[in-house]
Amino acid sequence: AAFGLYFPRKEYSENVYIDQPAGTPLLRIHALRDAHGEVAHFHLCQNLIISRARSHENHWFQIREKTGLLYLSKSLDREDFNMLSVGSWMPLSKVMLYVFLSSHPFEEKECDSATRTTVFLSLINATAPACGSLTARQHCFTEMDLSFHIKENKPPGTFHQLQLPSVHHLCQNLSISYKLLAAEGMPFRYNENTTSVSVTQHLDREERERYELIAKCTVREGFREMQVEVPFLVNVLDEDDSPPFLPNGTDTADAVVEFNRKEGTVLATLTVYDADTTPIYPLESSRKKYTGTIITDDPWISETFRVEHIFDEIHFSPNGSQVRGTRHEYKLVLNKSISVTEHRSFQLDVLVNDTEFRGPERSVMLHFNVSILPVSIQFPNVTYQFTVNRNAERFAQIGKICIENCMKFRGVNITYKLLSPNVSCYPVSILQGREDKYGSLYVNDSSVLRRPECKEIQYTIQATDKQSRKHTKTLLAIVLEGNLLKKEEDCPDSCAVSKHHAECEECGGLGVLTGRCQWRQGSGKGITTNYSTCTPSIKTCPDGICDVIESKDPAVCPQDCTSGNIIGGHGKGTGNLGIKSGHGICYCFPRQNCYCEKDDIKEQLCDDVCKTVI
Amino acid sequence: LAGPPSPPGQDPHGWRVPVDCVRANELCAAEPSCSSRYRTLRQCLAGRDRNTMLANKECQAALEVLQESPLYDCRCKRGMKKELQCLQIYWSIHLGLTEGEEFYEASPYEPVTSRLSDIFRLASIFSGMDPATNSKSNHCLDAAKACNLNDNCKRLRSGYISTCSKEISATEHCSRRKCHKALRQFFDRVPSEYTYRLLFCSCKDQACAERRRQTIVPSCSYEDKEKPNCLDLRNTCRTDHLCRSRLADFHTNCQASFQSLTSCPGDNYQACLGSYAGLIAGFDMTPNYIDASTTSITISPWCSCKGSGNMEEECEKFLQDFTENPCLRNAIQAFGNGTDVNLSP
Repeated sequence: AAFGLYFPRKEYSENVYIDQPAGTPLLRIHALRDAHGEVAHFHLCQNLIISRARSHENHWFQIREKTGLLYLSKSLDREDFNMLSVGSWMPLSKVMLYVFLSSHPFEEKECDSATRTTVFLSLINATAPACGSLTARQHCFTEMDLSFHIKENKPPGTFHQLQLPSVHHLCQNLSISYKLLAAEGMPFRYNENTTSVSVTQHLDREERERYELIAKCTVREGFREMQVEVPFLVNVLDEDDSPPFLPNGTDTADAVVEFNRKEGTVLATLTVYDADTTPIYPLESSRKKYTGTIITDDPWISETFRVEHIFDEIHFSPNGSQVRGTRHEYKLVLNKSISVTEHRSFQLDVLVNDTEFRGPERSVMLHFNVSILPVSIQFPNVTYQFTVNRNAERFAQIGKICIENCMKFRGVNITYKLLSPNVSCYPVSILQGREDKYGSLYVNDSSVLRRPECKEIQYTIQATDKQSRKHTKTLLAIVLEGNLLKKEEDCPDSCAVSKHHAECEECGGLGVLTGRCQWRQGSGKGITTNYSTCTPSIKTCPDGICDVIESKDPAVCPQDCTSGNIIGGHGKGTGNLGIKSGHGICYCFPRQNCYCEKDDIKEQLCDDVCKTVI
Repeated sequence: LAGPPSPPGQDPHGWRVPVDCVRANELCAAEPSCSSRYRTLRQCLAGRDRNTMLANKECQAALEVLQESPLYDCRCKRGMKKELQCLQIYWSIHLGLTEGEEFYEASPYEPVTSRLSDIFRLASIFSGMDPATNSKSNHCLDAAKACNLNDNCKRLRSGYISTCSKEISATEHCSRRKCHKALRQFFDRVPSEYTYRLLFCSCKDQACAERRRQTIVPSCSYEDKEKPNCLDLRNTCRTDHLCRSRLADFHTNCQASFQSLTSCPGDNYQACLGSYAGLIAGFDMTPNYIDASTTSITISPWCSCKGSGNMEEECEKFLQDFTENPCLRNAIQAFGNGTDVNLSP
């Protein structure tokens, strides 16, 4: 701001009545100084704002340039009232005018200074009340609450007058006196002669940001005495007068990059405190106000890392009263995924700057000890061996393949491949989901399992890191076992079709491991995730995840993968796939509907009545 | 039923009943002098503040001509056809003429002239909205039953409930945008004797109050991972014509005033409840009950005043228009008890 005079309130309000005489004082407006020796000049803009963007030239109101007293310069008659009430739906219409403030006398009617306050005048469709018809409260205070804001670190000054100029003008022979209660030890003074309230010293928001006093008013009329009390609040506005500081002096943090090398990973966080408030709104300016910059001339570092800054409000209590402050968090974040071969350590410095603070300690340096460790791509030292039952069907899941620490990896893309053996026996394949860190082995050709010459098959598995092209191999042995069972006639190809325990375990279906489907017995309590159903393997279906093998064919596990209708009491799974919970027994016809229903109570084939007949 | 509103005190200056802005725009387009002035004014307002605009002679002239045209006083109706277009025309004029960021903005919607008693009259046709029902009854459950017996209400209610509870993926628990849209359709197209009963039913026990809180499926339409600052939220709302209009309407009709018996502007409960319902699914400004308390009704949008800096006073003032608003509270209680203000003629 070019000059620092300011208003202690954003809004003022007062009532205006029909035919009030010219010269009637309405209200008193005060200004507070930014620096010693400033003199306030008040002035009005020449337009009144009526509702909805209408404006009208101001013929009625004026303000004393030196004292800030707003008064009627011309009385408002009924015609003026009607004209000013156009476009207002409310029984009570308001006009608005702006009061401007300047440290020099106004040359011309300038109306664009940023320092302004709004005065709302309620036009009351009646003549001014007689002094005797007012209540004690109306004698003492207006409807607007007594709430003010004062900037910290500014010179003292007068900011309010308790006496109402309009009432004082109307009720000459009433004695109305005021007092400010709970003001002992507070930096405010009440002057009885002028009924004005001043702030007596520089305020410090970091000491206290709210003062709650009580304004008490006594109205004496002959022998009657009435008293009214209202709250009187002062909020202290903040300015940037505190430097950033470190909690317990912690300015160093370790940042280790090992298995998690993904872009966006937060490696370490350091905290900086500030006793000043930092507004969340508008966010952009606060971000500019407090900056965190990586200090480096190595282009690789500035490409690979970034600093994220978040801040939130905290409270501290300097001497019993709660004061708001700010906690800034600076997070060191990976700006791109780091290759598994990368290996280095260095110290990374971040300069935090409180740009608006006018002092020497406006910045702090944060240090991150970064160590980037390489990750080896290798299989564990054992060779894989899986046994597969000869009666397994296509899409039966045999096991998972995973290099060392693969489940901890993030931002490292490993692909698994089976290098085909030079034999004709070739029953299994490997599949990998888009986000999966492991490969899933499954039966791809079940007819091979039935051939007697196939007993044990040796494969080589290769895992490759996409980014560095590093790869590793290991051996995998598939051993076939078990005797061939006779295939049941007229069995459906999906286990999920079966409704009953018995028929479920008589049949096989896609994805079964031992030639027979498995029955899952649920708890049978209402709609539950633990519903009864028939599945190729209880371990993988239904588990709430439509995995990469189940999604190859809708007949394998519709309980996890169906996107069709589900009839009966149920809850759908994530992304509207599968049956998350069901009522009773759930069964499905692949590519069609699923049904969840309570098992019918089996009627006795022959009850007592029927026996008697027989 | 609703005649044109008459201003307080007969107006000698020829009171005009406002037309809607879409119609006013057509009328203006048919008249060469009006349409060219409107174009001029829109160019004047583009990216300039009011005072520089008024300093320009050409802009001043355009404004004076337009003050006489129906465009200047035009309004919109809630849920009307082409509502968005109407609001666009309204704000194209008013955004530049008001003084920028005001705390309260005037509503672009036509004033509500119907009263709560009209709703009670309609409501009593299909159910005993008798306040003297036994203490065992659950008004919120009755409201849901009444809605299910009406085809239109049932269809739109189950529509928004299924939209708002459809899980998209493990991280995204529902589509908030679609949920808000479905809620808007429900509150705009279903008669208020159904929607108000669901939203403002009175409760004596917690199960009922929880049902009332759950009416708008708050887990999708209301709650979010983090609470934004209310002023930030208001700012976001004001960048959108519809949200801005609904918020201005709420401020116009629910602004607590000391001048009236009920604390409501014009003692009109119906207008305040209507604006409240219109604000639901007004994007992120959606208000709701903050808990299932039966003793005190507290309403708030999903925001807080944390991190307001020097604007804390303004933020608290904005929030208190929801949380501690005697007009809104009286209106909700009056609807729950089935009482309206008796207006002395």
